Parts: sequence; C-alpha cells; structure tokens
Amino acid sequence: MRQNSVNALTKSVIFEVEIKNTIQLMILIQSPLKSILVNLFTLLATAWVGAQTTISGIVTAKNGTPIEGANIYLDGTYDGASTDASGAFSFVTEEEGVQTLVISYVSYEPFMMAADVSQMKNLKIALREDVNSLDTVVISAGTLEASDNSKVSVLKPLDVVTTASALGDFVGALQTLPGTTTVAEDGRLFVRGGDAGETQIFIDGIRVFTPYSPTTNNIPTRGRYSPFLFDGITFSTGGYSAEYGQALSSVLLLNTVDEPDQEKTDVAVMTVGGGIGNTQKWEKSSLSFNTSYINLAPYIAIFPDRNDWDKPFEAVAGEAVYRQQLKGGLLKVYAAFDSTNFKLTQEDIDLPEGLDFQLKNYNFYTNTSYSTDINDSWKLDAGGSFTISKNDILFLDNNIENRENSAHLKVKLRKRFSNRFKLSFGAEQFITDFTEDFRNPEFSDNYGFNNNLSAVFAESDIIFSRKFALKLGLRGEYSDLFDQYTLSPRSSVAYKTGKNSQLSVAYGDFYQQPFNDVLKFERNLEAQHTQHYILNYQYVANNRILRAEAYRKTYDKLVTYDTEFPVTNSVIQNNGDGYARGFDLFWRDNNTIKNVDYWISYSFLDTERMYRNYPVAATPSFANKHNLSTVVKWWINDWKSQIGFSHQFASGRTYTNPNVPGFLQEKTKAYNSLSFNWAYLISQQKILYFSVNNVLGTKNINGYQYPSTADANGNFNRRTVRPAADQFFFVGFFWTISKDGSDNQLDNL
Amino acid sequence: MKKLLLVCVVLISTGTFAQSKYQQGMEKAFELWGADKPWEAANLFERIAQAEPENWLPPFYVAQINVFNSFGESDKEKMIAQMNKARDFLNDAKSLTKDNPEILVLEAQLLTAWVVYDGQQYGMKYSPKIAELYQQASVLAPENPRVVLGKAQWDIGTARFFGQPTDKYCADIEKAIALFESEVPAGEFHPRGGGEYAAQVLQENCGN
Repeated sequence: MRQNSVNALTKSVIFEVEIKNTIQLMILIQSPLKSILVNLFTLLATAWVGAQTTISGIVTAKNGTPIEGANIYLDGTYDGASTDASGAFSFVTEEEGVQTLVISYVSYEPFMMAADVSQMKNLKIALREDVNSLDTVVISAGTLEASDNSKVSVLKPLDVVTTASALGDFVGALQTLPGTTTVAEDGRLFVRGGDAGETQIFIDGIRVFTPYSPTTNNIPTRGRYSPFLFDGITFSTGGYSAEYGQALSSVLLLNTVDEPDQEKTDVAVMTVGGGIGNTQKWEKSSLSFNTSYINLAPYIAIFPDRNDWDKPFEAVAGEAVYRQQLKGGLLKVYAAFDSTNFKLTQEDIDLPEGLDFQLKNYNFYTNTSYSTDINDSWKLDAGGSFTISKNDILFLDNNIENRENSAHLKVKLRKRFSNRFKLSFGAEQFITDFTEDFRNPEFSDNYGFNNNLSAVFAESDIIFSRKFALKLGLRGEYSDLFDQYTLSPRSSVAYKTGKNSQLSVAYGDFYQQPFNDVLKFERNLEAQHTQHYILNYQYVANNRILRAEAYRKTYDKLVTYDTEFPVTNSVIQNNGDGYARGFDLFWRDNNTIKNVDYWISYSFLDTERMYRNYPVAATPSFANKHNLSTVVKWWINDWKSQIGFSHQFASGRTYTNPNVPGFLQEKTKAYNSLSFNWAYLISQQKILYFSVNNVLGTKNINGYQYPSTADANGNFNRRTVRPAADQFFFVGFFWTISKDGSDNQLDNL
Repeated sequence: MKKLLLVCVVLISTGTFAQSKYQQGMEKAFELWGADKPWEAANLFERIAQAEPENWLPPFYVAQINVFNSFGESDKEKMIAQMNKARDFLNDAKSLTKDNPEILVLEAQLLTAWVVYDGQQYGMKYSPKIAELYQQASVLAPENPRVVLGKAQWDIGTARFFGQPTDKYCADIEKAIALFESEVPAGEFHPRGGGEYAAQVLQENCGN
C-alpha cells in the first residue's frame, strides 16, 4: 500500500522530468546556434558545477531515541542515504526546487515532506510508530482466534485435527477452549451459560443456518464441514462486532482458504468409512472437492453400544470450493451436500420395548462471497448463502417431516481513512421459510412460518496509539415477523499495560429471535435479549499465552411455555429472564518443553435462568460450574510420531429428582474423560492415525430419566442415562498424492 | 550546422542518460552488500526501487537481503518485521515479472524462514507450498543453478526429517555446482553466483 503510493508519486515526478527534458530539447532545436551553445553551456555548468545541495538532518523516534538505519531519499530520484548510529544523515543532490523527502523505517509510519531542497538542512524528524505493526494493542475481549495470521492466536487451524478428543471436528477442538461447557451427549457449542442455539456460525462472513448434522437424544452431533477447508477460525464468547447479529452468546467465524497450495488428491480409509478429495489449480482459479462416506455398521458390529441399531448411522457428504481471482478481487463459491440416515431403538423408562427412532436428513448449503479493493482506501465484501434442509423423522408412530429454506444476503463496505481510523458499514437480509407436517394415526397437522429479518450495521476502529484502541459499533434490526425494531450498541476498548500485556473491556447488547421449534407454533413473540459486560487481560510472549476474562451476562425476554416441550396448543410467551457470570482462564505454552505444546483452560460459571417450562429460575442442565480441559501434544522425532492427550473435567450437571421437592435441584457426578491419539508418518505422503476417546473407560453419567408416573409405593425409580458407548476407537490411513511426489502429510498431522 | 546540432543532442542525451544512475546505484549497492553492510545496501536498493518502478531487480534484492538476514536473527520480533518487509518487496517484484524462477526460489526461501521461525506452526502449513514453488521453478528453469540447489537442499531436509536416504540429492548439488560454473547471467545485475555456497552445502551434506 505504502509502496504503491510512493510508486505513484514517483511516476508523476518522472513524468515531469521527462517533460522538462523534452522542452529543453525542443528549445535547443528551434534556437539559433548561438543560443544552443549558450544553453548547452548553461546546462553543462549546472550539471557539473552549480546547484549541489546538501540535505542533512537527524531522525529519531517520538521519544527522542535516535533511529539507526532509516532510509532517506528524495522521492523519484537516486539521491539518498541511511542514518548512522546517532540518527544523523547527510547527502548531496543535484535536484532543485520543490522535492519530496521520504523517510522510511520498519515499524514506523513513513514520513514525507515536500519542500524546496535548499531548505532541507539540519532537519529534525521524529517518526510516528506504525500502528499496524505487531506490538499494537488488539481488541481482544471475548475473542479467541485460531489463525496463522492473527497477532494473538490461541488455537491454530491444525489443532482441529491434532487434538486428541476432537476427532477432526472443529467444534470438538473448540470445546477445549475456555467459556465452553461440556455437554457430552449433545456435541454442540454451549457458551457461558447459553443454550447451543445461542451460538451462530458464519463461513466467510455469511451465516450457516444448519451447521450441525441432526441426531437424536444422547448421540452427540458433529459440525458438518471439513476442517481442511478453513485457514482461520475466530471464536467469540461474547462482546462481538456489530457485524454479527442473531446470536445471544457466541459467534464462530470460519474463513475458507483463499488459495490452495498445490494440486493433489487425498485418499482416506477409516474404520468408520472413507473419503476422497481433489484439488485442481489454474492460473487465476482453483477447485477443490471432498467427498466422504461414513457407515458405523461394521464398527457397531464389533463394539456394540447401548443402543439397539436397526440401521446404524450412515452419511454421504460432498463439498466443493471454487475460487476465482477477478481484477483486484476474489470470488469464492462454496457448496456442500450431505445426507444422513439412521434407525435405532433406545432404552426408555416409560416404554419397556424401547423407543423407536428413525431419521433421514438431506442438507444443501451454498455460499458465495466476493471481496475486492475498490481503491486504496475502500474495500467491498458481498455475499449470500442458501440452505435447503429436509428432515424425515419417525418415532413410535409419529411421523414428522420438515423443510427449511433459508437465505442470507449481505454487503459490507470498509473505508480506511488512515491507519488510525477505519469505518465499516453494511446491510443484510435473512429469509427463512419453514414448514412441518406432523402425522400420527389419530392426528395430523401442518404448520410453518416465513421469517424475514433486515439489518444494518456500522462500526469504527479508532487507534489512538499503539497502546490504546477503541471500537464502537451499532446494529439495527427489523423483524418482519414480529414487526419489531431493535437497536444494539457494541463497544470495546483495549489498553496496553506493558510490552506483552494488555487489558480490554467490552460491552454489548444482543438480540436473537426465538428458535424454529417455537416459531413454528407461535409468531406473536419478540426477540430475546442479552447484555454482555467483559473484562479481559492478556499476556503474550515467547509462544506463551495467558488469558483471563471475567464476564457478566443478563438475559431478558427469554421464551417460556406451559407444556413439556412446545406443541400446537402451548402458551408461548417472552416471560423468561436470567443471568450468567463467571471467569475463564487459558494458558498455552509451546516453549518451555522442547517438542511439547500444551494448553489448559478453566471456566467458572454461575448461571440461573427462567425459561422454557421452568416453574422457577434454575441452573439449566447444560451448565456446569467448573470446566477444566488440558491438551498436550508431543512430537517424537525418532518415531516420526505425534502423540497427544486431552483431558476433560466437568463438574456435575443439574437434574430434577421428582422424589424430593424442587426443580433441577440435584447434580450428577462429575464428568471425566481422557483421550489419546497417535499419528505416525509412514512417509511424506502417508499417515497412520489412531485414537481412543476415554482411554480409562470412566463411567460417565449424562443424566437420569424418571418415569412419568410413580410406582405403587409412590416412588419414581430412575434410569441412568449413560453415553451410548464409554469409549470410541478410531484408526485411519490418509494418503496425499501430489505431482512432485515430495509433498507430505505433515499438514494433516 | 546540422551535424553540430546532432552532436549537441547526442552530448546532452549522454549527459542525461548514458552514465546511468541506475548502473551506478546498483554497483554501489552490491559493493555495500559485499562490504558486509547489508542494511545500507537494502536501503539503497529500496531507493533504486522507488526511482525505477518498472524494474523487478531492485525490490527483488531488498527482499533477498531481508530473507537472508532473517536466518540466524535471534530477535524474534525483528525477524518477523524483516520477513514481512521481504514479503512486501517480493510482491512488488512479482508484479513486475512473470514466471520468474528467481522469484519462486526467493519465495520458497522466505517461507523456509517462517518454518525456521516456528517449525511446529509453519512447518506443517508451508512445506507443501515450498515444495510446490521449487517444483514450478524447476519446470520453468531446470538448468538454473539456484533452482537446482534450492530444490536439492529442501529435498535433503525433507528426506532427513523422514529418515530417508539423502545421497540421491548429492548429484543434484554437484549438478548445481557445474551449472554455477558455466552460468551466464540473464542480464545486467541479474542474480548470479552462489557456487561457493553450493560447494559448502555439498561438503556439509555429502562430504564422505
């Protein structure tokens, strides 16, 4: 950028010089001989004798420290010098008149001064620090970055596939970060006392409407998308930018790779299925696709679990990304299709013969984004997504068929006024069309809704100095369904307290519409609301990160209803409220022990809410007070192996015991799981991967089920709900075939 | 009189153009570099780069000095600043020349510097990219000694990492040395040389 403007300046200067020369030549040619000679001598004289000007001065930092090695020159000329140890410089030029003096030095803003060369003597120039440089304060409250390019990255994209407990699911890897709670039977992200639906996921800034594969009770879901397609993950556990809305607790931002490294074919053979992928590159474009087939039947035949499977879990998935560079911009088209189906009978205390459940899901998602620099200071991002999701569910003799069509359109403009002041603003539209058919022998019904939501947002970044930065944002939304306007201010401030440490504070208002399970029965509602207050401290040095964050959230307008779950005749209202408060600690270190990288997250959570069918405010069963996770990765060079461990500890979760008075008044025992993985590089292109979840076979308890009616003695005898299987084994073989044969599987490690 | 006029014009043209500040500047910069003043040389190359915005060589050398000096830099922040500066100037050079093997090799070296900076993080990320760059370069210029040497060095490093034999790459280093000896630079101030370094690499990796 800087170079460009200097180049542009240079070009115009050169152009002027050329014009001068041409004019002089023309004069020469037109003049009589005498004048030619006179002119010639004058010219020669000026060139050889006169008009040599010495330019000199001293360059320092703002605080007066001399800068050594700064580059000083007259723009568009060869005349210049470097500063010495005392910051002094001096050089001779033959240029005359007004010239531009440029001073540049790494991590300082370039200095330019236009003046007559004769006045460029004994200059005293103090350079301003470049606020784009590395040690500038970063607004960090609430945000956890997983990226190679970010200044402060708590997680790296590769951690998704190398964290022992994650099994290649990016959501699984995020569950080792602070602010999340362990809800083993669910698999989705629960953040700081919020329900899983309070977290929204975005790919390249565009919303994903159905991010998880659907599943049933007590079988954890997985994120739908392959971690290899993303090179940046930002996980915000609160206080996020005004650009993102419709999320009460958290946003997860995934960015797809801009340009793949190489043409290759990937083959995966696993105990649970297989996959094949291919990447093709052309001069200005590239195409990657990935397909996978997962079938748990052979695995369940060898290691039966607590469910009685008629049709074990089967999934077919395919994704493709096409990228095209257009003049100054990049177009990305992403499409993913997957189909899941399974049928099983689960234990149920009210049904001696068990609960039959069958599910078929088809999901299609496409996302197009375009990003371009309009000029040096304006940037445009535009995009849209479209989802079709179809579920066909059969349980007992009830048949539910639903279909969701959703779209998101978004445009955002960014204007850079200077390195210190940036403004972005945009508009977006969400459209959802949901229909559901419910049928059983006695009853059938059909219902659904259309939901249109429009939003505008604006945000400014003000960097006062390397030490002090401020972000102010405002988001306005209009819901067509509720005919409701909402306004959410957001702000955060960061201050650098030392060379490696900083303090940030954030505040924000967040609105989110009730979820589909409620909207399909009741539209006379309004948006649920929460406020976040966050205080964050961060210390980053030598590959070590310490992050401590305290927060408080207040909820209001939460959805309540008077039946066990929402049905056609439920009374559904916005009468709920609640709070969540606590603190998170995170420590990552890959410096102290050679070849060992480890991190520890601890979260303390205190929350209560009145929502759904709660008779009183209580701690929901998805919230645990203490969460501790430890992840260790050890690279053993002699074995060509990476060995990893991860341990999750979560204190007990609440449940209601109908034998004693109260609601959600008792707690399960604590959850413990130690996972192990081993990745062995057979050669550059072949990797063998082995992992076990819950190595120690700890008997964890997800909760208890009580019968709907008491026995003859008036007692409710409970059934313990355990995970479908205590342990999970995985063996996979991955092979990358690329053109030159020396590329390797390291990037899959 | 017409002749005189012609002489004048020629005189003036030579006065303005022929002694070429560009040549003087480049020679001076190489002299500084040779005299172990790489940063003064880099500054001079940078000044030439802004005065010669259509020539890929000056920004290429700014990038090269920054890359070479990143290896062995102990101050991590300084190392990052240098690698970022190298990236800026490499991008400038890249935009001025197409399918240039020297640029590809330098880019591979820059990414190697990142791998050296943090192998755990960047090793996994950049190794396929580095291999791809050397591959492209050797398709474009199979007889360029710097391409042959760079690729051989990278292949040796990878083979060693995986505990595979490295001897087959020694022939490549020897080939590079022979190519260095017979090399005719592609033009004035174009990259050349590296023969002694190649001999040193051969000694270190293939010496009995």
